Amino acid sequence: MATNIAAQRIKREFKEVIKSEEVSLYLNVAQCSIKVELVNDSCVELKGEIAGPPDTPYEGGNFILEIKIPETYPFNPPKVRFITKIWHPNISSITGAICLDILKDQWAAAMTLRTVLLSLQALLSAAEPDDPQDAVVAKQYKEQPEMFHQTAKHWTSVYAGGPSKMPELDEKIKRLTDMGIEEHNARDALSSYNWDLERATEQLFS
Amino acid sequence: MSGAECESDMDCSGSDCGDAGYEDYYSTQPWDGEIDNDINFDKQKQDPEYAVYECLRVDEVERLLNENVEFLTTNLQITPSLAKLFLHAHEWDLQDILLKYQDNTSNIMIDSKIILSHSVDPLFNMKFLKGNLCSVCFLTFPTERFSTLNCGHSFCNDCWCAYFETQILQGVSTGIRCMANSCSILAPEDFVLSLLIKPIMRERYQQFVFRDYVKSHPQLRFCPGPNCQIVIRSKELRSKRVICSICKTVFCFRCGMDYHAPTDCDTIKKWLTKCADDSETANYISAHTKDCPKCHICIEKNGGCNHMQCYNCKHDFCWMCLGDWKTHGSEYYECSRYKENPNIAHESVHAQAREALKKYLHYYERWENHSKSLKLEEQTLEEIKLRIQKKVMNASGTWIDWQHLFEAASLLARCRYTLQYTYPYAYYMEAGPRKELFEYQQAQLEAEIENLSWKIERAETTDRGDLENQMDIAEKRRITLLKDFLEV
Repeated sequence: MATNIAAQRIKREFKEVIKSEEVSLYLNVAQCSIKVELVNDSCVELKGEIAGPPDTPYEGGNFILEIKIPETYPFNPPKVRFITKIWHPNISSITGAICLDILKDQWAAAMTLRTVLLSLQALLSAAEPDDPQDAVVAKQYKEQPEMFHQTAKHWTSVYAGGPSKMPELDEKIKRLTDMGIEEHNARDALSSYNWDLERATEQLFS
Repeated sequence: MSGAECESDMDCSGSDCGDAGYEDYYSTQPWDGEIDNDINFDKQKQDPEYAVYECLRVDEVERLLNENVEFLTTNLQITPSLAKLFLHAHEWDLQDILLKYQDNTSNIMIDSKIILSHSVDPLFNMKFLKGNLCSVCFLTFPTERFSTLNCGHSFCNDCWCAYFETQILQGVSTGIRCMANSCSILAPEDFVLSLLIKPIMRERYQQFVFRDYVKSHPQLRFCPGPNCQIVIRSKELRSKRVICSICKTVFCFRCGMDYHAPTDCDTIKKWLTKCADDSETANYISAHTKDCPKCHICIEKNGGCNHMQCYNCKHDFCWMCLGDWKTHGSEYYECSRYKENPNIAHESVHAQAREALKKYLHYYERWENHSKSLKLEEQTLEEIKLRIQKKVMNASGTWIDWQHLFEAASLLARCRYTLQYTYPYAYYMEAGPRKELFEYQQAQLEAEIENLSWKIERAETTDRGDLENQMDIAEKRRITLLKDFLEV
């Protein structure tokens, strides 16, 4: 019975999300859009997409989400994580796992995928560094907000198709890749050490 | 007289505790025997472990809880379900509820999550209920197939039912909330039961609700014994020894762990966690590593050869005596210089860590040893039983004549148990005169216990008076230590 409700709900929700997307297109604020599509026909695995909200380092980026629907949906929350790598205190920079109350104990059956995606968009606009998923990112967010902003913008441009290019950061990464370090590892290390080339190198070779 | 009956009468004021029974007479449990009638005199003052509690069956607990519910329903003119929400939210404190209810009815309703502090978002029901659309399953139903809690959020009965089932399967019962976004209103018992259909789910729900009620009630504790249904009731929440009247499990009323006097609840928890975390690692480090005598780095021995070379400073030394290898030559098997590391005065971080480890292991080994001894003494009890049987068969005395041996064995178990729990207490004590006093008393108790153990094993040749004298001494030492150091 539960599976039946889950599938029914997902099908009905598709119409809802599509409808809201049409509205946003009509209002010509396409950068606020959210999107959900099926991965296969089973209604168990979905792909979500949210646009980075304006006036944030994520602006201009498109972030892909993995959404898994449990059998007991909507009485239990969907399992959501970021596929696109993102630099954010409440999202793991390694696994994409999300720390958001409505995906845990504050979930309510009357919430929908649309609520979830909009809440995630809101999370990108307003991080909660005191309840972090990624401690390294949260520390940088609190102690060096400018550095955090630069890093998040850089990640958006590299992984989510964001517009801003940052030659000085790319230069540092190149210094490491020239030493034979894989590019993603170089970026992770530099981001974690506030782009301190020496300390990142030390960590990578220790 | 029967020791078993005596103990039950004193410790349990419950109706079903007194009849420990005639059949238990010969199978005395370690905790049942009370020996010295002098101790019974003015128990509360004499015995620091004295506790008043009762052992209740499920139906007795239900009656107790229902009395509270009825009291509220008649006094406040509310439904039993509502009364239960109040009681659960206020730890079953009737006076507190009455006061708050009289003071401000809507406040206590809000605090107990029965009504919302603000009116429900009018858009919610307008958006969905106009078309009789359930916002959970997105299906339309006639109005009578919808139900709503005090908050006004309306959903179809099928969704409520499916929702309750998922919650119950996850162990949630009294905490089931409304299905609307960020609505914290709780679903009362009658609401859930009016919508749950499957009998097995209804049954499970009621079991979970009962469990939650007992857990939220400060005077009640489930017996931690495996599959035991007994609930212990004590009017004061203190770390007292309670004994389940059915399964005989002994535990601390406050924390529910094994009884742990003279150590307090927090300390024993810290100790047990430490033992669970550290023991294996600590034992391994102690058994397999030593510090390099020159640079004090920690070295693990992973081969059989005793000629070691430190990987850090390249110093060659003997694993056995930690002396310089040069002095060993080819006759190192003759190495007899097994003594303290001569460089210990020059303490490195590693040496200090090892010192801390040594201290921990000192207490841990004794703790473990007494725990094992307790288990072994259960076997001793069996042996005593056999020996007595033989004697009775050989007509050297009757069962009654040898009864004092059981009492001695059960007293020995009780003393050793307390002794075991003195070690975590001592471990966390700060050095000073109080610790010296404690360890003095601990040593005294230990000595008397070993004396008693020796005499019990040779019971046939020991004079009965002598044995009973020894029992008295050991118990007095135990009580003295508890009186001085047990804080409840």
